[in-house]
Amino acid sequence: MNAIIALSALAILTMFFGVIQKKSVLLPLILSGLIIVFFLNVIEWGTFKHYYNEMFIADNFNIAFTAALILTTFLVFIFSALYYRTVKRPLEDIYALMLFSLIGGITMASFGNITMLFIGIETLSISFYILAGSKKFDVASNEAALKYFLTGTFATGFLLFGMALIYGVSGSFNLQAINSYIIANKESIPTLFYAGMILVFVGMAFKIAAVPFHFWAPDVYTGSPTLITAFMSTIGKVASIAAFYRLISITFLNVHDFSVDILMLFAIATIIVGNLSAMTQDNMKRMLAYSGISNSGYLLFAIIAMGPKSAGTLLYFSISYAIATITAFAVIMLVREERGTFSLQDYKGLAKQNPVEAFAMAVAMMSLAGIPPLAGFMAKYNIFSVAMNGGYVWLVIVGVIGSMISVFYYFKPIIYMYFHRADAHKKIETTKAYKIHILLVSILLIILGFLPGLVIGLL
Amino acid sequence: MPDAVQNLQMIPLNDYIFFCSALFAIGIIGVLIKRNALVIFMSVELMLNSANLLLAAFSAYRNDPAGQIFVFFIMVVAAAEVAIGLALLVMIYRSTHSIDINALNKLKW
Amino acid sequence: MLSKYIFYFLSSVAIYAALMVLISKKPIHSVLYLTLAFFAIAGHYILLNAQFLAVVHIIVYAGAIMVLFLFTVMLLNLNIEGEFPKKNIIKFAAVIVGGLILITLIGTFRTYDLEIIKNPTLNQIGLVKNLGKVLFKEYLLPFELCSILFLAAMVGAVMLGKKDIQ
Repeated sequence: MNAIIALSALAILTMFFGVIQKKSVLLPLILSGLIIVFFLNVIEWGTFKHYYNEMFIADNFNIAFTAALILTTFLVFIFSALYYRTVKRPLEDIYALMLFSLIGGITMASFGNITMLFIGIETLSISFYILAGSKKFDVASNEAALKYFLTGTFATGFLLFGMALIYGVSGSFNLQAINSYIIANKESIPTLFYAGMILVFVGMAFKIAAVPFHFWAPDVYTGSPTLITAFMSTIGKVASIAAFYRLISITFLNVHDFSVDILMLFAIATIIVGNLSAMTQDNMKRMLAYSGISNSGYLLFAIIAMGPKSAGTLLYFSISYAIATITAFAVIMLVREERGTFSLQDYKGLAKQNPVEAFAMAVAMMSLAGIPPLAGFMAKYNIFSVAMNGGYVWLVIVGVIGSMISVFYYFKPIIYMYFHRADAHKKIETTKAYKIHILLVSILLIILGFLPGLVIGLL
Repeated sequence: MPDAVQNLQMIPLNDYIFFCSALFAIGIIGVLIKRNALVIFMSVELMLNSANLLLAAFSAYRNDPAGQIFVFFIMVVAAAEVAIGLALLVMIYRSTHSIDINALNKLKW
Repeated sequence: MLSKYIFYFLSSVAIYAALMVLISKKPIHSVLYLTLAFFAIAGHYILLNAQFLAVVHIIVYAGAIMVLFLFTVMLLNLNIEGEFPKKNIIKFAAVIVGGLILITLIGTFRTYDLEIIKNPTLNQIGLVKNLGKVLFKEYLLPFELCSILFLAAMVGAVMLGKKDIQ
């Protein structure tokens, strides 16, 4: 609860500072504000509170995911200095919208009532629609925004109809009340309720970009400004998966037999389609979009298994995915600015000319591919073991096969960077601060790989 | 007046559910068959309205105000979405001079 | 009996209007038919004894949203372009998909029977007083969060709408 209040204040402060045209203080203000919010959030650890008629549940799950979301936003803001360095205007609107969407994401990680889930999803989505179109003179950005908007509102329609049906049968929007309805009427739940559940699942699958509701993701991620893509593909995914987990773990746990079939279908299709489509891509941004899709398949494993370690593993996987994706996008931003495209060809010989950036990119790619001892490996290992303990052997087999396919496309940029000769490319000049940041982030990824127990043990 | 209201016969709840599903299905069909972004958006509004009416009907038959409160939230969100959606449409129209979604093919599907 | 006739009348008007939204060639006709559908739905709200909801519905949908739509159609002069034909096969497939969803939903509803059914014409929950109590007591937090949502939408609409130099 602290985090939401403090973040709202920070966002409004950001807009005020933008109005008085103080561009230089804007970013330091936001970064220090995010650090304060992080601590304000963490001091609530261990307390279990309900606010406002169980609208907002402040438990450890919420605090851990809020911390993860704030950390991710912090990293994105660090690299925003590089991305927007040529822009003269203060950019307060874009920064404020990013903070607003963070508030939406936090709401999604902590709702105790379907109303709050809906408001959270919409705050996040509406901010994203605008951010996707924030590069107003770029036709691709416009197109991405409109596509995202139309598919997003379409998904909202499904979500709402499902929520209405669930309300109609159970008579409440409160997650606990719906759960007690399910327990009380386990034998005689009308099919209407299941129809509502399916519609809600469809809506949520849209938000996490699970196959077959993923078709918007590649276009939107490719067309949006790169910084925003990094932001959307991490915050959006982590918040939505946290919301999905919370919804199922509190409400639908007693009808889990029914949800497992649907979710397994989603997970298997997501891993197969996501990985196979990523293989054929030459555009780095689009490849990472498909990688994001396939990663939501792995994230679904934890929800399907619903074991004692599910929540912790979900947190660990989300953090490692988010950090690796942001690192990769930070390098992509730089290369794109110097060399003009997102094509793989631009990465030829990057290791010779820019060893730090190439190293960071290689670490990020290897982490996403799941090479030990990086964070991505431990994340995948743990999520597979959670699924294995739940008895979903076939799911794990599909996951491992998908993982093997993924090595192929994640190693493509590494091969281009290290084993190809640079044609006509010159060395990319970067600032010292950027080099330190990107090095720190990639080291964070390596360190995280050695402490999976610490993060998973939190929840 | 209450007597007159009491004398009205009750409409079965299922009729409301049928009606709302029909409206919802029309909305879905509209989103799928139309190429004009504006009309697609109107179909989405139809879908939201069918959910609204369904919530209001459940709320009335259960004598529980929560459903009607939720409808207010949906209206809030719908209003915000319309503001954003039409701003986006105007922006697109400025750069491409069309709101045909098939003209938006710079990014391959 | 009267309310039944009103129900069927309003329902058929709403469905007719909704279909005409899709069939109309010109966007402006679609907007007007959509307004008709919204008014029919407002009638349904009154029938459900949700008077305040009906009033808000008309103010928000017919008053604000439809005006925005009409403004967009008129300002951009979109009406002359008419409709962009889509391939018949896609239309056919879309209708099949929508029909299947409808049939599935109706199939699940057939067996449904709500036990604690109450006569909606007798309850008083639709009055402003009762709704206000619930909204500002139990649903205070979502209500406040809506302000953030609106602020985000407002900032966004201004950002997208203004013509600035890079």
